[in-house]
Amino acid sequence: MHATDIALQIKNKYSSSVVGINVQRERRLWLELVAGDFRKCFERLIKEDGFEILVTITGLDTGEKYEVIYHMSDKEGRVLNIKISIDRDNPAVSTITDLFPAAELSERELMDLLGIKVEGLPEGRRYPLPDNWPQGQYPLRKDWDPSVLDKKIEKSGDKND
Amino acid sequence: MTLYLIKILIFPGLLFLFILSLIGEYYDRKLYARMQNRVGPPWFQPVADFIKLLGKELIIPLNADARIFKILPVFACVATIVAYLYIPLFSKTSLLPFNGDIIFVLYMLTLPTLSYALAGWYSRSPYALIGSTRVLTQLFAYEVPLFMAVLAPAILASSWSFSELITFYQTHNWLWLVNILGFIVAMITLQGKLEKVPFDIPEAETEIVAGVFTEYTGPLYAYFRLAMNMQTIAGASLVAAVFLPFGFGSCLIVNFVIYILKIAFILFLLALMRTLFARLRIDQMLVFCWKYLAPIALAQITLNIIIKAWL
Amino acid sequence: MTKRIVIPVGPQHPALKEPASFDVTLKGERVADILVKVGYNHRGIEKGCEGRPYLHCVYLLERVCGICSHSHSTCFIQAVEELANVKIPEKASYIRALFGELERIHSHLLWLGVAAHEIGFDTLLMYSWRDREVVMDLLALLAGNRVNYTVNVIGGVRKDVTEEEKGQILKAVDILEERTKYYVRVATEEVSFIERLSKVGYISYEDALRLGAVGPTGRASGIKRDVRKDDPYAAYEEIDFDIITDDHCDVYGRAVVRVKELLQSYSIIRQLIKKLPQTPLSVNVPKNIPAGEAVSRYEAPRGEDIHYVKSNGTDKPDRVKLRAPTLANVQAVAKMLENGNFADVPIVVAAIDPCFSCTDRMIVAANDVLSEKENRMTWKQLREFSINWYKKNKGVDFSKIKKSDKHI
Repeated sequence: MHATDIALQIKNKYSSSVVGINVQRERRLWLELVAGDFRKCFERLIKEDGFEILVTITGLDTGEKYEVIYHMSDKEGRVLNIKISIDRDNPAVSTITDLFPAAELSERELMDLLGIKVEGLPEGRRYPLPDNWPQGQYPLRKDWDPSVLDKKIEKSGDKND
Repeated sequence: MTLYLIKILIFPGLLFLFILSLIGEYYDRKLYARMQNRVGPPWFQPVADFIKLLGKELIIPLNADARIFKILPVFACVATIVAYLYIPLFSKTSLLPFNGDIIFVLYMLTLPTLSYALAGWYSRSPYALIGSTRVLTQLFAYEVPLFMAVLAPAILASSWSFSELITFYQTHNWLWLVNILGFIVAMITLQGKLEKVPFDIPEAETEIVAGVFTEYTGPLYAYFRLAMNMQTIAGASLVAAVFLPFGFGSCLIVNFVIYILKIAFILFLLALMRTLFARLRIDQMLVFCWKYLAPIALAQITLNIIIKAWL
Repeated sequence: MTKRIVIPVGPQHPALKEPASFDVTLKGERVADILVKVGYNHRGIEKGCEGRPYLHCVYLLERVCGICSHSHSTCFIQAVEELANVKIPEKASYIRALFGELERIHSHLLWLGVAAHEIGFDTLLMYSWRDREVVMDLLALLAGNRVNYTVNVIGGVRKDVTEEEKGQILKAVDILEERTKYYVRVATEEVSFIERLSKVGYISYEDALRLGAVGPTGRASGIKRDVRKDDPYAAYEEIDFDIITDDHCDVYGRAVVRVKELLQSYSIIRQLIKKLPQTPLSVNVPKNIPAGEAVSRYEAPRGEDIHYVKSNGTDKPDRVKLRAPTLANVQAVAKMLENGNFADVPIVVAAIDPCFSCTDRMIVAANDVLSEKENRMTWKQLREFSINWYKKNKGVDFSKIKKSDKHI
C-alpha cells in the first residue's frame, strides 16, 4: 500500500478529528489531530492501523501555540507524525505511558523543557534538568530568556568570592 | 640467637619476603601485560607504588571503627609473614619446624582473608559490605578443596610435617608426579585465595569499586597490598613445597635458584589463568568449587591411599 | 540474607564511562529493585541549535557524542537537505555510507572491549582496543580526525577518497576481518565468557517491542529492524547486506549480533569502494532553508537515531529535536535487570552500549550555585581551603605557586 492510500484511509476513518493530513514522501506522513480527540484516535491508530512503534515525542513552541508531535512508526518503516496543538495558557496533554512505558522520559522532557503538563504521569525524578533548576524556567519556550539564569549564577558567584 | 634473629628478620624471613613480594608483583604485572599485548610497568613500579601509597593522606571513614580499621592491614601482613616462616623454601626444614606445620601454615594463610572480610565489614560502606560477604562466601567455596588438595600428598607421606614430607618424596623419586591432580586443584584454589581473575569476585572493580578495600587509602592500603603480594609468594611457596618437593639436595645456591624457578613457574601459571578467563559470578564460583574441584581433590586423596597400600 | 541494602552504581562508578545513576536495591546478591536516573550530561544542544546557522549546527551536533558523531551530523543534514529539497551527488552518499560503516566498526570494537572489561575479561579488552586502533588510524587518515570527522557539509561531503586511500581502506578491512573472525571464535568457544553472558539480561521479543528497544539490543531479541533496510538513506539501497538478528534475547545474543554486524560492515565497505561513482562531491544549497519540517532517520551503531528539524525560512532552524538510540534502550534496562544478579548489573547496562551524552545533551556551568542551600565551593575557595589545609597539617606552603587563571 502506498503512503497516499494510507493517508486517504486514515482521513476517512477519523474524519471528524483530523485537522489535516499530508504525505511528504513515501514513508513520511504528517497528521494533525484535534487535541481533544487525540487519545481516542491514538489508541486506534496503534491497534488498527499498525503504527505500533513509538519513536519519540517532540514538543515545540511556535510562538502562538505549543505543539506536540508523536512520531510513530510501523513495521515497514513508515513514520507517521501525529501533531496536536495546545494553548499557551495552561498547556497540558495526557500521558501515553500506559500504552508505551518507554514514553516516560520523553514526557518528562516535555514537562522540564517546555512546561507542558502531562496528565496521568506518575510522580518521579525529573529529567533532564538538574534537581536544583529554578522553578518556572522552561528553556525551550521561545520567550525564555537565558540571561535570567546567568544573573542568578553571577549573583551567587559574587557573594561567594 | 643473633643468627636466629637475622634469619627471621632478614634472610629468608621478613626483608627477603618483602623484596621477593615486590619482585613477584612486578613479574606478575609484566607477564600479564605482555600476554595482553601491552608494554607493562618498569621494574621499579611496585616499589614506587608502595612508597607513593605510604605518602598519601590517610582517610578513615566517620562511621568506621577506627581502631580495628587501622589494625587489620597490619594483622594481615603479620599473619602472612608468620605463615611464610614455617614453609621450607630451599632447605628441607623451615626456620621453625614442628610436627603438623602444614596444617598450621594453611590456617595462618586463612587469616589474611578473614582480615579482608573484617576490614570490609568495619568500613561500613555498601560496596565494602557486599565485598566482605563475598570474601566469606568465596572462602567457604575454595578452602575445602584447597585443604584436601594439599593434604593428599601428606597422606601419601604419612606425615603432617613439611620436612618429613620432603624427605619421603626424596627417597621415592618421581613419586610426587602422582599428585598432579591435587596440584591443579591447589593452583585454581590458590587463585581464589589471592582474589584474582577469574575469582576476583570480592574486588570486582566494575561492580563494587574495590570491594573490601574501597574505603582504604594511603599507608593502610599499602599494607593491604603488601599483604596480598606476600600472600602470593607464601601461597606459591606452600604449593612448591608440597607439590614440587625436589631440588633440596645440592648446595644452597643451587637450591635457592631452584626455589626461585619454582615460584616463577607457579606465578606464571597464575598470570596465565588471569589472562585466559573472565570473572565468574559468585554462584558460578560456588558451583565450580563444590561440583568439580572438591570431587577432584577427593579423587586425589583416594588415589594416594590406594598407592600407599602398594608401597 | 534477607536484609536489603542499596548500592549506588553511579553517577561516578568504575563500571560507567559516563555519568548516570542506577540505585540498586539488593536482597543478598539478587536485585530487588532498580532506580534509573539519567540527565547528568544535558548540555542544551537542542536549545543551542535554535540560535545558530545551519552550518554551525552541523558542527555542534557532531559533538553530541564522540563515538557516533558522524551519525548525528548525517542525520541532521539529511533532514536539512530534505527541507531544502536538494539531492546530493551519488558520490557524496557513498562517502557518507563509508564513514558510517567505519564508525560502526570502531563503535562495535569499543563495545566489545567495554563489555569484556565489565565481566573482568581484560585480555579481550586489550585485544579489541588494539584492533580498534586500525580503524581509528584509517579515519584519521581519511578525515584528519580520529573522532568528529566533519566529513559532511550541507549538500554533500567535503572530502574525496583517492585511489591510494582506497587501497589502504581495503588493506585495513582485511586485517580487521581476520581479527574479527578470531573474536567470533572467542565468543563461541571461550567457556567463562559464554557462562557470564548467557541467560543474563533476558528480554523477550514482546517486551523489547513494547519498551521500544532499537539497534543491536532489539535485533538480539529477534526484532528485524534496521533503518538501512527499512528506510534506506545514503547509498544503502544499492548495497547488498543482511540484517543480523539473534534469538538468544540475552547479553550473549547482543554480543553475537555486534560481532556479526562487524563482518557485514566489512562487506559493505568493500562494495562501497568497488562501486564508488565519479561525480562531484557536493551541490550548492542556499543559505536560507525554506520553511517546513522534516524527520530524518539513521542507523547509528547503537540503534536508530532520529532528528526532527523545523525550519522557518531563515538561515537558522526553528527547532531541532534529536533522539539518540540510548534513550530508547535505557527503559529496557530496568526490565532486563529484574531478578538478576548484582554481578550482572554492569554488563547488562553495558550491553545496550549506553551513550549518556547522546541521551542527555546539557550541562550546568561547573560552578553554578543555583540553590544556595547546598554547601558548594567556588574554584577560588577550594584553592584557599587546600592551601590552608596543607599549611596546617603538613607544614607546606603552596600559596606562592602561580595559579592558572583559566578556570577562575
